[in-house]
Amino acid sequence: MSLSARISAYLDAVEEWLHGLYHGMIAHPSHEKIEKEAEDTTDVFLFACFADAFGIPSPVSYYTAELLPYLAEEFVQWERRMWDRESLVERKGQQYHF
Amino acid sequence: MDRFVFFGGKGGVGKTTVASAYGVQCARDGLETLLVSTDPAHSTSDVFEQRFDDDPAPVDGYAGLSAMELDPDEEVERHMRDIRRAMSDQVSPAIVNEIDRQIELAHRTPGAYEAALFDRFIDVMRESDDYDRVVFDTSPTGGTLRLLALPEFLQSWVERLREKRAASVDLFEKAAVGGSEARATLEDDPIIRRLTERKETFEFAGRVLAEQAQFFLVCNPDDLSIAESHRAVEDLREAGLTVGGLVVNKVAPAPDEGETGTGATYLRERHRAEQARLDRIHAEFDQPVVAVLEQRAGADGTALLGALTDELDLDTAVDPQQA
Repeated sequence: MSLSARISAYLDAVEEWLHGLYHGMIAHPSHEKIEKEAEDTTDVFLFACFADAFGIPSPVSYYTAELLPYLAEEFVQWERRMWDRESLVERKGQQYHF
Repeated sequence: MDRFVFFGGKGGVGKTTVASAYGVQCARDGLETLLVSTDPAHSTSDVFEQRFDDDPAPVDGYAGLSAMELDPDEEVERHMRDIRRAMSDQVSPAIVNEIDRQIELAHRTPGAYEAALFDRFIDVMRESDDYDRVVFDTSPTGGTLRLLALPEFLQSWVERLREKRAASVDLFEKAAVGGSEARATLEDDPIIRRLTERKETFEFAGRVLAEQAQFFLVCNPDDLSIAESHRAVEDLREAGLTVGGLVVNKVAPAPDEGETGTGATYLRERHRAEQARLDRIHAEFDQPVVAVLEQRAGADGTALLGALTDELDLDTAVDPQQA
């Protein structure tokens, strides 16, 4: 193997490591965090739309029912999440991988 | 005079009769008039001795007058059917079954009935271009007032939902780091589109009610009905709506001077008490009393209407110039 090939193989390895480090330390955690946050906001949104699914009368559920065709999958997931969720701490803690 | 005229008041004071008589009068004055009954216990049909339904139909024997009776139940059903249809186009049957309960629930809440009625209200106002005057005969005070206060309330609620949704979509966009596909985007989010449409509808309703509508309260010369009217005036004012005046209905006539029988004594006594209350109405309300209608025994339907229309004519002649 020539010297230049060895150098470029070495640089490739460094680049892969750097990319991995960047992804693992910065891109992925922040992505995960933002996505969790987005999901939480969605939960709040869905709750405001369909509070009556949890027995709280809502004056707008008649109107928000119109959104169900577009929210169907999110709605089902949300209902499950809401019943399962144990505590806010548990939810917020999920991003730390010990 | 405004294009939309509402008659409201406590149950049993004679709103339907007054509204119908007013409708007849408008038609007679050459205005293309639509009479809309929003009372679940429809009695327009009884007044004109003719069946009406959810679509405007000409009233027999009255040129220029049409009538319709809104049916919120049917509207609720239709709304539910539409959602189910949209649903089966969009998602898999398994999900549809899971969500069916929620749809059912949303359409069985007490608010659904009002929301449906409100939707029909807006439809009627939107499609009223053919008419110079639309007369609404509303359901008893409480329900109607809540209904008319809805636009502002719903508008702000929908607006908040829209903001929430926008925030979460925005976060989903940001979460799509490094070229992965975002779960939703701001431009083509159907939810935001729907919510914006809704908001515009409510804005339209609020604007029309505030700018082109006039309210008349029908009351009887009794304490309960007067108290109710006070509350109604207050509520309407709070909602920013214009109260045009009061119509006092079912006032007992005075017996002739010479009569002294039990009936005459009773009637004289009652007439005196009611006149006192009438004076009170004149004094207590800022709004003008636009008509005082005498109670008629025995007369009903078309005969009563003819007589009433003549009487109402005196004071409702504010109309001719169009707003």
